[in-house]
Amino acid sequence: MELQPTVFYIIAIVVIIAVLLILINRKLVKFDPLSKPTGIVLLVMMGAEMVDKMVKEKTDEKAAKFLTPYIMTVVVYIFLSNIAGLLSFESPTSNYSVTLSLAAVTCILIEYYAIKANGLKRYMKSLAEPMAPFIIMNVISKASTLLSLSLRLFGNIIAGTVLMGVIYQLFAKVSSLIPLFAGFNVIGVVVAPVLHFYFDLFSGAMQAFIFITLTLSFIGKELPKDY
Amino acid sequence: METGIIALAAALAVAGGTIVGVYEAKVAIAAVEAIGKNPDASGKIQGMAIIGAAIAETSAIYGLLIAFLIIFILGA
Repeated sequence: MELQPTVFYIIAIVVIIAVLLILINRKLVKFDPLSKPTGIVLLVMMGAEMVDKMVKEKTDEKAAKFLTPYIMTVVVYIFLSNIAGLLSFESPTSNYSVTLSLAAVTCILIEYYAIKANGLKRYMKSLAEPMAPFIIMNVISKASTLLSLSLRLFGNIIAGTVLMGVIYQLFAKVSSLIPLFAGFNVIGVVVAPVLHFYFDLFSGAMQAFIFITLTLSFIGKELPKDY
Repeated sequence: METGIIALAAALAVAGGTIVGVYEAKVAIAAVEAIGKNPDASGKIQGMAIIGAAIAETSAIYGLLIAFLIIFILGA
């Protein structure tokens, strides 16, 4: 069996996340809770508070206790994977296996909460709503959640990666025509950072945010509501 | 010759995404207008706008999926 090259990048990203967490944890332990937070501590606090607020808003108190750490993990992993292109890595999220497994976890959580809220019997019954033949439609609509969640992330990241590759090649060709700088990619050096900012940073952060928003909304839809 | 037609088919499959782009922009416009009228409900509106855009985007994603299938199955 041959390993895909992405596996090594995934391991590298996990190691980077682990090292970052250890370093941040060291700072947080030393932090005096009565003083003003600054720098990385402030950043971590703001991020944690944002995710905490979002989960509480979309789901209920009990589910939030379990979901907040999961959502935090997913958002950090997806964001760092998306911007891995800046470190000349191959983004793990540009491999369909990675996004499919991330979406599969979300789908399992959705079904878990649906069964927990309705009970197994009513859940099975809801599959055959409104008539028995509609079971096919309902199963397809559940599978489409998995497909659309995984393909959205994958499509966005692979499009960014492929476009950046094409743009680098184009600029290399154009700048090889400039007589003085032959062999050196002059235009690429100037233009590429702006495009990297859009395709890697902006798109990456946006997709991570959309992924968790959709996960939370789909789960929140299944939770029992108290009016 | 054959490769060209396969590439054309894949391009046609993703061409539906253009319409999706227009209507997703409409979702964004509606969300901004709603937040302008009612700033307190911005959290709820934001969530709904993203869900609506995501569901609308599904058709574009199916196009992308079909383009991938055309490229990797017919083109291989």
